[in-house]
Amino acid sequence: MSAQATTLPAPREQRTTLEVYRDDGPSARALGALLGRVLPLPPLVLLVLGALPAAIAIATQGDDTSAGTTAGLVAWFVLCAAISSGRPNEGSLRWAVPPLLRASEYGGLVWIATVAGDAVPGAFALLCAIAFRHYDLVYRGRHRGVTSPAWLDQVALGWDGRLLVACALLLADLLPAGFFVLAAIFAVVFVTETVAGWAAFSRAQRVGPTEAYDDEEDEA
Amino acid sequence: LTTETTTTSAPRRAPADDGRARAGGRTGVTTAVLLATAPTDGHGVAAGQAWDDHTIVRRLVDQLADIGVPSVHVITRTGWEDQLRRAVEGAAASVQVHASDAISSDLQLIADAARESDGGLVVAYGDIVTHREALAGLLADPRVASGVLAVGVRRPFTYRLRTSRGRIVSAASPYHLVRRPTGTFLGVLKVSPNDRAALAGIADDLERLTEPGVPGAWAAELDRKLGNVRVRLATAALEEDGEEPRDTLEDAGPPEPAEPVALDPSTIVLSPELEEEAAFRAAVAREDVVTLVFVGLVRSGAPLATTHVRKLFWARPLSSEAVAGAAERITHYDEEKVLLDSAVKATDGFFTTFFVSPYSKYIARFAARLGLTPNVVTTISVLIGCLAAAAFATGERWGLVTGAVLVHLAFVTDCVDGQLARYTRTFTKLGAWLDSVFDRTKEYVVFAGLALGATQMGDDVWVLAAAALTLQTVRHSFDFSYAAAQHEVIGATPQAPVEEPDDVPGGARIKQISAEAHAAAAAPQAPAAPAPPQPLPRRILGLWRSLDRLAFMPWLKRMIAFPIGERFAVIAITAALWGPRTTFTVLLVWGGVALAYTLAGRLLRSIGR
Repeated sequence: MSAQATTLPAPREQRTTLEVYRDDGPSARALGALLGRVLPLPPLVLLVLGALPAAIAIATQGDDTSAGTTAGLVAWFVLCAAISSGRPNEGSLRWAVPPLLRASEYGGLVWIATVAGDAVPGAFALLCAIAFRHYDLVYRGRHRGVTSPAWLDQVALGWDGRLLVACALLLADLLPAGFFVLAAIFAVVFVTETVAGWAAFSRAQRVGPTEAYDDEEDEA
Repeated sequence: LTTETTTTSAPRRAPADDGRARAGGRTGVTTAVLLATAPTDGHGVAAGQAWDDHTIVRRLVDQLADIGVPSVHVITRTGWEDQLRRAVEGAAASVQVHASDAISSDLQLIADAARESDGGLVVAYGDIVTHREALAGLLADPRVASGVLAVGVRRPFTYRLRTSRGRIVSAASPYHLVRRPTGTFLGVLKVSPNDRAALAGIADDLERLTEPGVPGAWAAELDRKLGNVRVRLATAALEEDGEEPRDTLEDAGPPEPAEPVALDPSTIVLSPELEEEAAFRAAVAREDVVTLVFVGLVRSGAPLATTHVRKLFWARPLSSEAVAGAAERITHYDEEKVLLDSAVKATDGFFTTFFVSPYSKYIARFAARLGLTPNVVTTISVLIGCLAAAAFATGERWGLVTGAVLVHLAFVTDCVDGQLARYTRTFTKLGAWLDSVFDRTKEYVVFAGLALGATQMGDDVWVLAAAALTLQTVRHSFDFSYAAAQHEVIGATPQAPVEEPDDVPGGARIKQISAEAHAAAAAPQAPAAPAPPQPLPRRILGLWRSLDRLAFMPWLKRMIAFPIGERFAVIAITAALWGPRTTFTVLLVWGGVALAYTLAGRLLRSIGR
């Protein structure tokens, strides 16, 4: 992990906890770096702007939306929310951004599954694998004091990459099989990486105690 | 500066064998510094008072040795060193007795001990009487890197502290003031190996600061506190109930402008006994360097946590009368029972507290006797959860009922692992991670089982299952992100330098408030200035908080937030009585209300700031 860390670009090291919790993928970071300065809107506004059209479509048409429209609206959300990754997340409500990204991603995947037909069990499997990563992003920070390595961020694709891949699978008519395959790959990668990380951590702990301030448990 | 050192060495005692894991060697704490500088109200050193067959300080040294602290420094005043050397004779740790003349010399000895130590360090009063498990709870908990022993209520001869989201953000000493305190520092400070160098530097700084005598601002703060003591002693005497005020020296914070002190401390005339009492409190306060080091660490921005003594015994008896009282009270404690009760988390929800913990703690004790580790219990719990999911997946009525029973069992074992860890003091970071991750795993595997079962029954509830998973994950994500934002705020809040008594940087407010209070005291008829109007969000939150006076409200509030105990209970009951569709519907409705409720509170707090 430390070998990875030395090859990282400088900004990554300065990521705040809230930035880590965003779980941006390569496409979101690229778009954010490119367009973040052009559109001076706060992240929360960008998220609402991006999710609104899809929310209206879900409310009015639900799973009767055509595959093309669905993919287009999801892509619009990805574009808007990706730009927010390049905007400074300030203000007293900045804590709302990561959970809203989570709600949009999970909701988007379920919507895509309903549009595709009987792909919701596949989407559920995929959500389980993604949820594992999202919880682990928090718990590894709290209990091991580390963030996810750069290669894992790339492989996990971020919320942006996963939504775009889901759109592609929808358009290519590869659902629900695509979701199951994706879920299996993610599950294997995420769990293996975490187990290996914990094994290394436990070995290091036996040599000398690592001391890190431990967060209280906030969730019940 | 006079320091004189003698060493007493003793063979290690064999560890006691009572079924609980010994913490020895795992604490990372290798050195303890005990301050035996407080006088008794008789004559001599409080730490040297008799306790059982030995002395108070001897008892403390033996307890620390038993927890795994091999080396102890005892700092006392010149003239008391012989008494203390006898007091620690035959102790189970290697003890060095240092004689020092002043608090600046004490601080230098602490700095030296911090530099020489090859591990973590404990700085504590040498005259406290507490249960071994209270000390072990702080020292042997790897989740608390640096921290202190604390309690919510006030105790005699202690100082207050304030925590925010589990982190100590302010602390008091005889010379320092804490605003809006949330707890009491019980005189035991644990410093991790990582913070050891910082501690040494802070002790150096404090030594330089106190070497010529304490700074004027500090002396003024102590005078203010002692003045409050006089006021309280006089008030208590006036009330003629004869009861000795049990307040701490510190608890009189700065008098609020709206409540002017009726008595001017400087003009109060006390009876000779009360005068003696006031003088004694002043003498104890002037010897206190444990709180000084603690305040120094807090003001330096070091992250410090608290470990609560919970229901375990703690006392700082500084008189023969107090020792007799403490000895009397501690005999009424069933340490085993208290320890088991303390293993139950204080912040659990309604269902967990009333329908699981009353018996799960006995399962935890049974597991401890079997020698099971918390991680084994956690794994058993997740396996039961998977069995429950499999039972639900049959889609048969017997499967739903069996699944419900198994879900409840899985939840009970889930409570057992935490209680077992607290009871046996076997906390590990991996254990904490496993517990968190497996809790989520169990819940979502059960969702999948229920959805599969519904499909068997000809009902497609996969969208509801996915929605329930999404809602729960988003709710947790709000918790995590809000906590992270709060920590950013705490981390960005500057600490006042240790030279200033007030914990608000700038320190002007204390002078202003004191001046106002004195003015108000001088002219009691003067109307108090009206408080500035609060913004609406703050008023709403204040109103909501004031409802906590109703006994059931705190429980109701916890219940609305739909904690894990309530969720598992809902799954078990609705699945057994009705079926998967009802389960997901209730989860979504209650979870939605919970999300709206917590979100409303956080929005109000965020915009009201």
